[in-house]
Amino acid sequence: CSMFNSKEDELAPDEPADKLYNEGLTGLNSGDYDAAKKKFTEVDRQHPYTDWGRKAVLMTTYTSYRSGKYDDAITNGKRYVQLHPTSPDAAYAQYLVGMSYYNQVPDVSRDQERTTRAIAAFDELVRRWPTSEYAEPAKRRASVARDQLAGKEMQVGRYYLARKDYTGAINRFRVVVSQYQQTRHVEEALHRLVEAYMSLGIVGEAQTAAAILGHNYPDSAWYQSSFQLLNQSGQQPQENKDSWISRAFSGNKTVAQNPA
Amino acid sequence: AITAGAPLGAPGATKAFAQSGGITVRGNQRVDAETVRSYFTGRGPLTQATIDEGIRGLYASGLFSDVRVARAGGGIVVTVSENQVLNRVAFEGNSKIKDSVLESETQSKPRGPFNPAVVQADAQRIQDIYRRSGRYEVTVSPKTIDQPSGRVDLVFEINEGEKTKISSINFEGNDAFSDGTLRDQMTTTESNWLSWLKTSDVYDPDRVNADLELLRKFYLNHGYADFRVVSANAALDQGTNAFTLNIAVEEGQKYRFGAVDVESSVPDVDAATLRGKIKSSSGSTYSAQDIDKSVEAMSLDLASRGYAFAQVRPRGDRNMSDQTIGVTYVVEEGARVYVERINVRGNTRTRDYVVRREFDIGEGDAYNQIFIDRAERRLKALGFFKNVKISTEPGSSPDRVIVNVDVEDQATGEFSVAGGYSSQDGMIGEVALGERNFLGRGQYARIAAQFGQNVSGFDFSFTEPYFLGSRVSAGVDAYVKQRDETDYTSYELDTYGGGLRFGLPITEEFTLGTRYQLYQQDLKIPSEFSRITVKTSNPPPARVANDDRASAAIFEAEGKTMTSLAGLSLIYNDLDNPQAPTLGTYAELKGDVAGLGGDAKFFRTTFDGRYYHPLGWENIIGMLRVQGGHVVAFGSDDLRILDHFPGGPDLVRGFEPQGFGPRDVGTSKLFRGSPNDDPLGGTTYFGGSAEMQFPIFGLPKEIGLKGALFADAGTVFNYEGVDSITVDGRLGNPRELYVNAKDSKKIRSSVGASLLWNSPLGPIRFDFAKVLSKEKYDETQLFRFSGGTRF
Amino acid sequence: CAEEQTKGYVMAPNALQQVPVGSSQDQVLVVLGTPSTTATLKGEVYYYITQKTKRSVAFMNPSITEQTVLAVYFTPDRKVERVANYGLQDGRVVDLVTNVTPTAGQERNFLEQVFKGVLSFEE
Repeated sequence: CSMFNSKEDELAPDEPADKLYNEGLTGLNSGDYDAAKKKFTEVDRQHPYTDWGRKAVLMTTYTSYRSGKYDDAITNGKRYVQLHPTSPDAAYAQYLVGMSYYNQVPDVSRDQERTTRAIAAFDELVRRWPTSEYAEPAKRRASVARDQLAGKEMQVGRYYLARKDYTGAINRFRVVVSQYQQTRHVEEALHRLVEAYMSLGIVGEAQTAAAILGHNYPDSAWYQSSFQLLNQSGQQPQENKDSWISRAFSGNKTVAQNPA
Repeated sequence: AITAGAPLGAPGATKAFAQSGGITVRGNQRVDAETVRSYFTGRGPLTQATIDEGIRGLYASGLFSDVRVARAGGGIVVTVSENQVLNRVAFEGNSKIKDSVLESETQSKPRGPFNPAVVQADAQRIQDIYRRSGRYEVTVSPKTIDQPSGRVDLVFEINEGEKTKISSINFEGNDAFSDGTLRDQMTTTESNWLSWLKTSDVYDPDRVNADLELLRKFYLNHGYADFRVVSANAALDQGTNAFTLNIAVEEGQKYRFGAVDVESSVPDVDAATLRGKIKSSSGSTYSAQDIDKSVEAMSLDLASRGYAFAQVRPRGDRNMSDQTIGVTYVVEEGARVYVERINVRGNTRTRDYVVRREFDIGEGDAYNQIFIDRAERRLKALGFFKNVKISTEPGSSPDRVIVNVDVEDQATGEFSVAGGYSSQDGMIGEVALGERNFLGRGQYARIAAQFGQNVSGFDFSFTEPYFLGSRVSAGVDAYVKQRDETDYTSYELDTYGGGLRFGLPITEEFTLGTRYQLYQQDLKIPSEFSRITVKTSNPPPARVANDDRASAAIFEAEGKTMTSLAGLSLIYNDLDNPQAPTLGTYAELKGDVAGLGGDAKFFRTTFDGRYYHPLGWENIIGMLRVQGGHVVAFGSDDLRILDHFPGGPDLVRGFEPQGFGPRDVGTSKLFRGSPNDDPLGGTTYFGGSAEMQFPIFGLPKEIGLKGALFADAGTVFNYEGVDSITVDGRLGNPRELYVNAKDSKKIRSSVGASLLWNSPLGPIRFDFAKVLSKEKYDETQLFRFSGGTRF
Repeated sequence: CAEEQTKGYVMAPNALQQVPVGSSQDQVLVVLGTPSTTATLKGEVYYYITQKTKRSVAFMNPSITEQTVLAVYFTPDRKVERVANYGLQDGRVVDLVTNVTPTAGQERNFLEQVFKGVLSFEE
């Protein structure tokens, strides 16, 4: 069979870049992302490394992202950043790569690999383009993704707590308290630590955890639960100054005041 | 000006340096200088190291075929020559392997750089893929066609050639086992008339190596401890385009177990307590498998007695002269390592806890390989994963280890359309939608609709294997079943109901099942059977039997009856492989009581036990089955006909469904089975069956055909249903319609042969049975065929 | 056929005697090994948590028959100050709070999951 019989349409002679590019834009405005993506891919293929070609790669990334083809968006986005690291749109391409991972973040009971990749992509954006307009949203999305990772640690921690595997549970909640302090889960982690330490009978640590929780999040529902738990067994939450929890919090108590 | 992306190190210094010398870029046509410069800035001052790194980065980008850097007046001059750009990549002449597969395997991509070295590697990669799928004659030649503005088209011209077969696999040095037996152990097979169907007759070096390992295991399990594969080479005969595989082996002596003992170097572990776990008894043929099983049994016992770090190491000492190997199991203190974290990875559908709950050890517990292997076996048995791999990596301190569980989800949804025939229900079709890993929670859900000649129905079932976090499995079922009258039953029966069931595993083998069922049966007698005709005589007899109409017992059971039943069952199961058992026992003892409300009131117990054992020869399997049961009514009414045990092919093959056992023969004096008498069923039955299953020699095993010879014997007796009902005769005076029940304890028996076919549709079985002993009124059936999935 | 199991830290028989009061933190690490968990970032207290569980019947969850926590307290200059033991009786019965901090993430509904599993030929 002849070489390209199955690919007749591509034999068409090269069309001028701007004509193809504008056809892509019209497709984009009419919401037909797939058609737009085909046009931009053509521009990139026929006119590589031209300015039109550069813009086309960015637009392919955007159209793939908008039509939910996240893997295409990621490959093209990365290609753009590699080819044109200093172009003004590089930050946007990196942002699209981060968002493509971000939109595929599964719920906490599933593998969080895409969450970690989203965080890495956003962190790189903040590192390489700190002044870009996308740095702030990237920081925000990264912290939401970190909240998801903390959620997973909590989920496994609760699994072991329910089965009375206190060692496993305590160490998981410790990870949340020390590495994910900026997430919403730190309140529950502190309360779970109170529950675990009380079940083991190590009242000193339980009191410290409850005191920290009360100190940083006085009106949190979790603090009420901890308070009740300690009261039932006649203990008051008082902070044992050099316990690891107070030390972990001493550095950035103010920051913990306004959780993201 | 050069704005370094993120100022690292001392920002002041780099700026000054870059300003004075600057990086000039030459030789770039389409790639803008800015891009080239970006590889050299942003990493601190321009030392030799950062320059080398920049050069590496430029090559890695694949854009350039050549990069040279020269120092000039404090700055550097970078001369590059660009690679051409790939316009299109096409594959031609490939029919056996699709373009998409080749595209994913090759590096040269459209719109990417054209790099001759990469193209050669791609060509080689394509050749490997074809070799792996058995085509050694393939030739791959990449061709390029230049296009305007520095772009180039790349075409891989592929000439696939014919499939390279394996004409024969021959062995040398094997006198203990025949070539045929050894070939059976291997996955690679010889080409035969079925070649178009299978791919196992393709020469694949990795598969052959795996086969050699299988051979070694086979010999080690049959006493040949010194077995060695001397050589295994495949000679390709260009003419016939086929391989001949020659494997030379050295069997060595056949050993038996010598003295077998346990030694313990762990202070308070007494060796004697472990002797019971030894599976390698001295005197029997040496088998590596028995040793592994003994080690596992002992390790599990030690772990469950709290010696988390005790390890069992078998030490064999060979005695050449009397050909025995003594085995000493040494119990010693293993490394004190703890599990720091268990990471579950790759589960895109299954939930984390569904995987984690299969582990007996948690985070913070002692690391014990036996528990890890047990978890891996359990995860694989779930059937949710394409593959499961558990690996460990060092933890945050020397005595900590991190366990990584890598799983890959597989589609566990079943959308099956099945057809089949059963003598009782005629032709049947079934459409079923099932999900074994419902919402990733490990739950099983299934809805199915059946439609057939004389039966139609719908059923739904749902099972949660870990009810409320414990290992109790809980399930709920609901079903509707309509069955028309057939040549064996003269009534229509509609059943609809549902039930709850719980499974409580007591030990690895014993499980206790409890269930509650509530169902309503609506029995209708079709018109041609419902009129009661009586032979007229003068004076009309007071008692009449019903000849060509439904039996009085059926009249009594007409209409709707509700049954509310609770039951217990004890199941013992240590079959080695549930689908195709070769060793082990499956026995179930069931007890039901009906009468917690509802109309039917009876106690019922049944027993069904099957024992499998391989008979001397390779893969000939013997099976013994014993079954029995008794039902007794309580309360005011008699046991309904529907609650009696039928005598059918499940008890003794060679009879029609409900073909033997108590029967209402009406008025016929000769008691020969007349077509319109009705089976009644009995309140007690027992039976036994012996079967020998064997592969059909000469047929390749891919077809999946097995033969079997069997002998059955059994009986069902003691009809205790109603024996007469009063009917109003034609002239208004009531008459008594009685059941002329023939009931006998005679043992019915039969011998026969079966053909078992593991068809794509599911296991199908053809039984041919010759009845040896029966009652005159029993109805036999020489041939029976039932199959399709799950009937 | 009850299945007992030692979970968590496994205490070697005479290990405790080798870490008398005053011995250094490294000595404790060598003899007892890494603690199940510690109380401060710089090692103010080491906790070694051991549990013995028994599962009389396979379907029941194992019940804790013995739970000991060995706490090794250190002075600021990381010498063993005192050793304390918490037994099962010290543990309080805690009913865990059931509600949970909500988390987001795609929850694939039933049909999408079944059909994706069944109809997606190119997984």
